[in-house]
Amino acid sequence: MATIPTTRLSIVGRNAPRRELPDKLSGAAQYSADIDLPGLLHGVIVRSPHPHANVLGVDASEALALPGVRAAVTPADAPSVWLAPDMPVLDTRVRFAGDEVAAVAADDLDTARRAAALVRVEYEPLPFVTDPVAALETGAPAIHPQGNLAIPEPLALQRGDIDAGFDAADIILEERYHLPTHSATPLEPRAALASWEGDRLTVWKSTRGVHVDRDVLASVFGLDTGRVRVIGPNMGGGYGNKDESRMAVLAAMLSRRAGRPVRIEYSREEEFVAGRTRHGGRIDLRIGVTRDGDITAIHGDAILDSGAYQATAPRVARRAGQGMLYLYRCPNVRFDARPATTNKPVSGSYRALGAPQGHFALETLMDRAADAVGMDPLAFRLRNHVPLEGQAGPRLTPPDEIVDGQPVEGGIPFSSNGLEECLRRGAAEFGWDEPFERSDSTDPFIRRGRGMSMMIYRGGVGDESAAALSIDTEGKVRLITGVMDVGEGAVTVLCQIAAEAVSVGYDDVLPHFADTEDTPNAPITAGSTATFSTGTAVMQAAERLRASMLAVAAERLDASTGELTIADGAVFVCDGPGRRISYAELARAVEPEQLSAEATVTPGSPDYIVNSFGAHFCEVEVDTATGRVRINRYVAAHDSGRIINPRTALNQVEGAISQMLGFALSEELITDEPTGVTLNGSYLEHKSPTIQDFPSITTIFADVVDPVGPMGAKGLGEVPSVGVAPSIANALYDAVGVRFTRLPITPDRVLDALRNRAKGR
Amino acid sequence: MTFRLLQPTSLAEACAALADAPDDAMPIAGGTDLLSEIRDGTSVPGTLVALDSIADAVLWGIADTDDGAVRIGALATIADIAAHEGIRDRYIALSQAAAGLATPQVRNLGTLGGNLNQRPRCWYYRHPLTVCLKRGGDRCFAVQGVGKYLCITGGDRCFIVHPSDIAVALTALGATVTITSPAGQRTVPIEDYFTGPDVDLMRENILRPGELLTAVTLPPGRAESHSIYLKARERESGDFALVSVAAAIGATDGVVTNASVALGGVAPVPYRAVGTEQYLLGRAVADVSPADAGAAAVADPRPLPDNAYKVPMAANLTHRAISILLAASAV
Repeated sequence: MATIPTTRLSIVGRNAPRRELPDKLSGAAQYSADIDLPGLLHGVIVRSPHPHANVLGVDASEALALPGVRAAVTPADAPSVWLAPDMPVLDTRVRFAGDEVAAVAADDLDTARRAAALVRVEYEPLPFVTDPVAALETGAPAIHPQGNLAIPEPLALQRGDIDAGFDAADIILEERYHLPTHSATPLEPRAALASWEGDRLTVWKSTRGVHVDRDVLASVFGLDTGRVRVIGPNMGGGYGNKDESRMAVLAAMLSRRAGRPVRIEYSREEEFVAGRTRHGGRIDLRIGVTRDGDITAIHGDAILDSGAYQATAPRVARRAGQGMLYLYRCPNVRFDARPATTNKPVSGSYRALGAPQGHFALETLMDRAADAVGMDPLAFRLRNHVPLEGQAGPRLTPPDEIVDGQPVEGGIPFSSNGLEECLRRGAAEFGWDEPFERSDSTDPFIRRGRGMSMMIYRGGVGDESAAALSIDTEGKVRLITGVMDVGEGAVTVLCQIAAEAVSVGYDDVLPHFADTEDTPNAPITAGSTATFSTGTAVMQAAERLRASMLAVAAERLDASTGELTIADGAVFVCDGPGRRISYAELARAVEPEQLSAEATVTPGSPDYIVNSFGAHFCEVEVDTATGRVRINRYVAAHDSGRIINPRTALNQVEGAISQMLGFALSEELITDEPTGVTLNGSYLEHKSPTIQDFPSITTIFADVVDPVGPMGAKGLGEVPSVGVAPSIANALYDAVGVRFTRLPITPDRVLDALRNRAKGR
Repeated sequence: MTFRLLQPTSLAEACAALADAPDDAMPIAGGTDLLSEIRDGTSVPGTLVALDSIADAVLWGIADTDDGAVRIGALATIADIAAHEGIRDRYIALSQAAAGLATPQVRNLGTLGGNLNQRPRCWYYRHPLTVCLKRGGDRCFAVQGVGKYLCITGGDRCFIVHPSDIAVALTALGATVTITSPAGQRTVPIEDYFTGPDVDLMRENILRPGELLTAVTLPPGRAESHSIYLKARERESGDFALVSVAAAIGATDGVVTNASVALGGVAPVPYRAVGTEQYLLGRAVADVSPADAGAAAVADPRPLPDNAYKVPMAANLTHRAISILLAASAV
């Protein structure tokens, strides 16, 4: 029986301990910045103080004259290769205060910092723009030759006819929403270490994808990819965010010049200013509803702040619209988006990309729509959420083609859709229908409110993924994939899938990940795809391995493969007690390659949309004396298919909600408009919530086993971040009667809104 | 960056070292503010004069004095103050201010003297690329920029707020400050210790070169008086006050007999809410409207474009403090 059993599971669905936990707890775990090599030099990047300027000259001679300084690189030394469509290795134009101009390497960090300060750069300051709306107006300072639109054409996605839809509406609601730029604040600042041996380059890097970095480095240095090795050590917080490519290139340039290994590690302030932020911007949203509570049309129009470079703006813009296009049953929808470059820190990928921004607009305006037709927010959503059958309309994807995780067209069902279960079970756990006291008997300033939201997100269908499995002579299963565990637990979860699929104990799976030298090509760890997409590859490799094991065992046990069964690290003859052969014995009996299997898969399904869902409920408490908002209680119900590891899944949900409390209530990376500098690039001033601000969170996983996903699983990591801000904003309305349309909802904004409301009366 | 570290063993030696190099030497105790200033380049002292090598008793410890007062040495840590039972019993506003300040790590390292002498948090003052008036530059960046954390009264070319929680509590509690110099000691009411930009743009207190703040003395507590410290902030830990209020109120026979109210976060110095005090003093407790008392807290506020929220915040927080204290005094 080569087919992998997916019922009566022994390790999938259990709290297998994190693989790296002992090393992390003991301090033995190595992160990129911990790796040391003989002769290691420390690199420091010279950054622009101007938000926009031409670099007329860079003179590193004074820096190089400092004792202990071993190398410098300037725009004149940079190969003319593009790291991205709008980003050269180093440029003679700087586009934000913090942009890379040059780099130096020295024996120690202090010397390198002193040297960086001695690099003389002559700037010609240029007019600059910090507002994405202004950046798109005619006459705005052009940041790139191709203009300030960060994508080739504005994004415009439509299903049905929105004009007809708004004509059919009894009530049209519209609002403009303002979103902040904020930082993912990973505890581990970015780091890269580069070392050359002849014309072979090895790089250790805090990254979300070693193969992508390898390809960039190979192209910059004109090398075969086989001559570049990129290794991803432990990572101290990824959030999809560690996707810049310059720092490893600069480390490698310095290393080549110095003839010694070079490490660049960002300072905390660099991590804020020169890392990658979430796209801020504004979203205009219109929704048409009938008096009966049917949704007739939805139109979203977004201008997003891409910062100085495009980075992942196309994907962020696309993801901002998916809720508007697909979360509600609606025949007429449209989403327009224009990400704009500005002279600000670079926006990039950060947990769920644009989805939290889009859902903030969508889910707060839907609460207003429910209010307008006299329906409870939960009842309105139960009536209107997208069903298992998907959206109405013709399928446009050819029948045999994999369905995109973010479709626009109708006519395609979901593989599974636990949205209703999330809404019902979440509401029951929260006590949505129970009586609720909004005021406080002891303090008249305190007001309480309850709110909810729901969310839709890609279910894990990613790019082509691969895995290899083999059995060694100890009977251990080696699992090899190129995918990077960015701290979320991909290694653990994929080991669980492999253990289950090959029928061995969890501890008998030996993982090897994220090293371009000897792991198959892997996509970036992004889009909540690692479990689903690499998991699919693991499953397929396991099927092949099981088939090989049966073939070898059949010969050894003198039985037909049909008589054999696989369990607990051995192959048995079903009706022949004692006729068994262990994996170790199998492996010793044949050449190693006979008991190894690889699979490269294109994840997904031609028949179904694979999406994950959730519903959030929260109770907030507003101190109307100080404008401070606290979350008393939070219930998160999620459909991510079968949960492979409940504990790591719980960590993702609780982590995402805690992280996005900052997006909702306190975090904003602020650029000073007159000077263009980042004002608050520090943990002190970019106000991430602390442990004392986190609410108690109850997490529910819907009882869904996805028919497409590996072991029934779908993507999870980003999904819980999507609905946090709107559930809080909706609860705030319930508490104080103000619809907040600008994030974060800080005390000053609460007090200003309460005062404006009082004036309006 | 490099600097010379001196470790004097006596106050006289320390004061002399500071007086010798008034533009170059700075005292260091916990270093929680100064080291970050040095790292950011906001401050570039050539010499640091360590105070923790000095054995002089005046700098250390928290002690009751013979006349019923409490003397706190400048090197007492914030955590020491927060944990001190006598302070908690008699001067709870100070205890609350200390316990809610920054983070446990900062409270364990930071000292009373350092807390009172910390520099402003205005991010333009701290940012290496915006050299403002306070750093010898030619302008205040905040008036054109983001001023949400700055003052609503007492600004004059510069619009900082004094960041110390402790200073606000000590102001309401009527503390005095002991200053030591090679010439000897002087004692001033804490209200006279802090100075605004109208007096000197470059400093926030009256310390002269060679002088050290060595101790703070709390007057004997009044039996009938209760105090409180309330702090509005954006997150529960590791945050400076948006606005804070310290109040000490006493009532005898149903009439308010003493009222001392100070606000943080509204002015370049701890701000004495004289309007609230005048409203309260001599008024029957039963006739006190905490809302009216709060509304009188800041006289003639002049907010910047983006910090008008501090006006209701100061009024509300004062209102709440008065409500709580009156309820306590009625029990």
